[in-house]
Amino acid sequence: MNVRLPVKLKKRSSIETMKQRLPFTLAFVAFALYLLLGPLRPYLVETAALTPFYADEFTLGKLFGTHCGLLFQVAAAFQSCFARPWLGGCLFVAVLVAIAYVQRWAFRVSDSWFGICWLSSFALLLNFTQLGYLIYTLKHPAVAFAPALGFLAAFALIGLWFRLKVWWWKLAFLLLTPIIGFWLLGFFGALVAPFAGFCEIGIARFKQFDEPSSVGKRSLRRPFLGKETPRMLWGLALFFLGLLLPSLLQLALHRHLDWQAGHIPFDSLPREMRLPWILAVCVPLFYAVFRLDGKRRWMTAVSAIVFIVAGAASYHYSFLDNNFLCTLRMKHAAEDSKWEQILQMAKDGQQEPTRAQVCLTRLALFKTGRMGDELFVYPEGAAEYNAPQQNQWLRLMIGPLLYYHYGKTGFAYRWAMEDLVEYGERPAYLRYLHSVARLNGEEALAQRYERTLARTLFYKPTASLWGPGYCTHEAAEAEAIRPLLNYTDQLDGDNGLVEFYLLHSFALSEGGSREMVELSLMDGLITKDLTGFWPRFLALLPTWQGHIPTHYQEAALMVAQLQGGAPVSDLPIDPAISQHFQRLVEASSRMGDNAANATILRPEFGNTYWYYYFFVEGLKTK
Amino acid sequence: MKSCTDILSLLALSLAFALTGCTPSVPTTFEEATTPPPVTPNNFDATLPPNIAPLNFRILQGDASEAVTRLHSKQGGEIIVAGWDVCFDEDEWHHLLDQTRGDSLYCDIYLKAYGTWEHLPPQRFYVAEDEIDPYITYRLIRPSYVTYEELTINERCLENFDERVVYENMRFADSQQGQCINCHMPRAWNSDAQSQFHVRQNLGGTVLINGNSATKVNLKTDSTLSAGVYPAWHPTLPLIAYSVNETGQVFHTLDPQKIEVIDYASDLILYDVQTNTVQSIDRTASDFESFPAWSPDGGTLYYIAAHYTPRADNLDADLDANYDQLRYNIYARDFDLTTRRFGARRLVFDAESLGKSASVPRVSPDGQYLLFTLADYGQFHIWHKSADLQILSLNPTPSPVGEKSNPSTDSPTPSKETSAGSQSPLPHVTRTGSEALNSTSSESYHAWSSTGRWILFSSRRDDGNYTRLYISYFDRDGRAHHPFRLPQRTADADDLMLRSYNAAEFLVQPVQATPHTLSRAIKADARPASYAGSALLHPEADTTRARQLTPPAERRSASVGY
Repeated sequence: MNVRLPVKLKKRSSIETMKQRLPFTLAFVAFALYLLLGPLRPYLVETAALTPFYADEFTLGKLFGTHCGLLFQVAAAFQSCFARPWLGGCLFVAVLVAIAYVQRWAFRVSDSWFGICWLSSFALLLNFTQLGYLIYTLKHPAVAFAPALGFLAAFALIGLWFRLKVWWWKLAFLLLTPIIGFWLLGFFGALVAPFAGFCEIGIARFKQFDEPSSVGKRSLRRPFLGKETPRMLWGLALFFLGLLLPSLLQLALHRHLDWQAGHIPFDSLPREMRLPWILAVCVPLFYAVFRLDGKRRWMTAVSAIVFIVAGAASYHYSFLDNNFLCTLRMKHAAEDSKWEQILQMAKDGQQEPTRAQVCLTRLALFKTGRMGDELFVYPEGAAEYNAPQQNQWLRLMIGPLLYYHYGKTGFAYRWAMEDLVEYGERPAYLRYLHSVARLNGEEALAQRYERTLARTLFYKPTASLWGPGYCTHEAAEAEAIRPLLNYTDQLDGDNGLVEFYLLHSFALSEGGSREMVELSLMDGLITKDLTGFWPRFLALLPTWQGHIPTHYQEAALMVAQLQGGAPVSDLPIDPAISQHFQRLVEASSRMGDNAANATILRPEFGNTYWYYYFFVEGLKTK
Repeated sequence: MKSCTDILSLLALSLAFALTGCTPSVPTTFEEATTPPPVTPNNFDATLPPNIAPLNFRILQGDASEAVTRLHSKQGGEIIVAGWDVCFDEDEWHHLLDQTRGDSLYCDIYLKAYGTWEHLPPQRFYVAEDEIDPYITYRLIRPSYVTYEELTINERCLENFDERVVYENMRFADSQQGQCINCHMPRAWNSDAQSQFHVRQNLGGTVLINGNSATKVNLKTDSTLSAGVYPAWHPTLPLIAYSVNETGQVFHTLDPQKIEVIDYASDLILYDVQTNTVQSIDRTASDFESFPAWSPDGGTLYYIAAHYTPRADNLDADLDANYDQLRYNIYARDFDLTTRRFGARRLVFDAESLGKSASVPRVSPDGQYLLFTLADYGQFHIWHKSADLQILSLNPTPSPVGEKSNPSTDSPTPSKETSAGSQSPLPHVTRTGSEALNSTSSESYHAWSSTGRWILFSSRRDDGNYTRLYISYFDRDGRAHHPFRLPQRTADADDLMLRSYNAAEFLVQPVQATPHTLSRAIKADARPASYAGSALLHPEADTTRARQLTPPAERRSASVGY
């Protein structure tokens, strides 16, 4: 029995090992893939467009020629795979899974405690998923993959250290990793050597407790510390120090930029950090105590609880803001010219939209020619962006897109370039630099950007994320914009207020193509500036061929009532709309203050221009 | 022993085989083609300095499957390179150029398409006798507007591809405190290791480099518009003339020129490096003076100025609306080296009468020529597609261009003189001398080499947006030759880099100050310069009236490079 027992145990152990590891692995993979490919799918796509990776000799030179180049470039290459969410998502999850396994290997964590190895993976997942709007302003080249790959390499090196048996190999390790590791992996590589050294010292000291003369000390040690405990502690310390430093850095950055506490979920960052720290203290203690007891079931239970709590925290603190994700979906639909999808998303919205969503909805209505009939039917709103510094997000997310589609090519190019200077050579900016150059007829410049985009993994202009027929798509897009270029150039400035500038530049413009006059008419209505209404209305009248769009009929009736200026009776106004307007006039005369009227009249008149004109206020469009 | 010999023999054979196998050869049978070789960058026909780095290029593949390039001279030297990326061995290149001084260098390209070799029409370079200054300095900047990150002042050796960063702006920049760096200007081509550059915003000031030491000064005084902007070192005295500008940037809504950089006010000052004092030269409310440049003897200061009569109370709005009406002429003032006083202003080139606007005047080292940029309006010509380089003969006798130029048909009308002007014969533009320099896009900032035989200039001819450096030979007859683009290690280096070269200058030796020295100087407090009155000989007799300084807060301002 005594001879056969180890063999039997070994075989059983192998099967049990699989049984214990697999549930954690499968649970993590399922959770992470759900989060990344489910609600955060548009976030992944956007992250890829904001990741500057180019497969060229400059990048090759940076691999080993610049500090942390290897880590950043490989991480950027991986992160740009988010352009294909399945590919990028699976890669990211694979790296996170590898971290858990390498950690287990490096610190010789028993299978019963395998659950705690996933803490790092959850934290690194959260490190990426919590960013939200911040993804636009972080200048980090690969915010998802760089820390993940950095930790993976650091853990692997620590594991290697533990397995080095010859002292001079260890010495070489200690000497070389701070230099080579720091150069290739940044501080992830630099920290390996000191931690390995500390581990060695720690283990040596703990070994002293096993001396027969130290019975008292040994008895002190045994209840709390197992054989691998020092390594475990150092490993966790490495991880949490690693996690803490960049997180604190981010926090400092937020604070520095006047991020307001109590305003955004980012301020939960300190709270997030509390949980790992508590776990960092508790888990090794549990580990030591339960390991000595040998109650594997309990250990696994605790391990599982830690795993579940970490998973729940990751989900809870991930940035799943509906408006943010909806804006991203709308933006991607606009880049694919899928205007109907945008309108459907606007209709399906369950909460007050942000101005970015309203702007994209208006653009979709303009592109589909339904602006005059439906603009005031869609939800209006000015919900705050779930982030501080409200004024910048619309410009950062969709500024160049809006300017480009409305024919303000100078500003589309300007902001794409300004952001490229500020945040790096991201494909998201190059796309508009390229499109504007082509629209401007700057063929050589367009070709330069095209060649740059061709060096990306997924944004090649001919077979791109924006569809296999990109060139055709781009040409069609440009043709739709060309009528809006019929205006005289002038020197101007927008102060970064994209919507304000667009509305007022069209509302104050005169003449131009039919599309421009219609935008002038509509933007005059939106800004409630009715001075140029009749000239524009009458100029467009023949083009409507008998059917005046509903909102223009509504506006004509209202302007005639308020200002006169045109014989409304001569216009082909729908009698139903006239009657509707009469009911509004009568209802208004019967009622009291404006606020009460707004509530009472909304069910019947909420979709009309009249309601917008009289009751919708505070949208900062004026 | 025998086996050892066998192994060595085998190794020698293998090496010989490898060497012979790798050496490309020119095809013996081929057909003559008529289409010019599709290469980028195309520097053929350029005149090269004998000490320039290899002019590598790429052959655009098209339908061809193989390519062989043969570079050779009449003296018998040759380099043969196989493949699309034609990168010459540096030693072989220099040897060949040295052999070919004063003669032509021929380039034959053979392409193999559908099994047949074709010999494209032979191309050539001309190799001058005159060497070029071995270094240049420039700033690398994205062609952006308001934001600036990762600006670097670089130094490049022209004899090879070595490039180093003299100073980069991210050293002290953070998300709140940006740092702009610009105008690295050497004194006398850095022959005495002196130069200067500006730091704006965070830790701002003007950094004066002397050997391996550096100091930072603050040139803004209560009596001057701003700190120094566009510098001009005096060739012999420890003086620097600067323009002081209140510059703003406004954006085109549609025009592909994209941006207009406007001076809302500008004057000239003279800074004494030794006494740390500033004197005003020209400070008039009605004239905008800028871009000073000394003559080689230091006896004349050239600069540009535009007369501005406000049409409205809001000066900024008025200039924004009428930016294309602001035209700059080139003026000069004599400078007495003993008294350090300037004489009266005189008109040197009346661009306005041509409906044009001149900028960045630079005098050749022999004092014979004035090289400047001429465009339709304004002074920040890098953003003006109409900007071309022009050469003005400062020689009172007709230009020595003689037979090779045709000033009568192409030159502008003679310049008029101001009331305070000199009685010297009228200069005229020798346009034929500069025509090889220009393209349909903007040519802008330019510099003479220390010998005056080479001109380094900025051009956006490649794509209209990203500025690249070109070098042209300027012969003894006053004629600029077909230029070549700054050589790069790989043919697509310029294509990969989404940055512009900016404000390039020749250097005869490298900058000695290390980035660490410069950082220390920048971190230290700037020594404030004091105002020492007017530098004019007769300030009271000056026809211009003193400017009423506007509080800076009331103006838009921006730090820009040129």
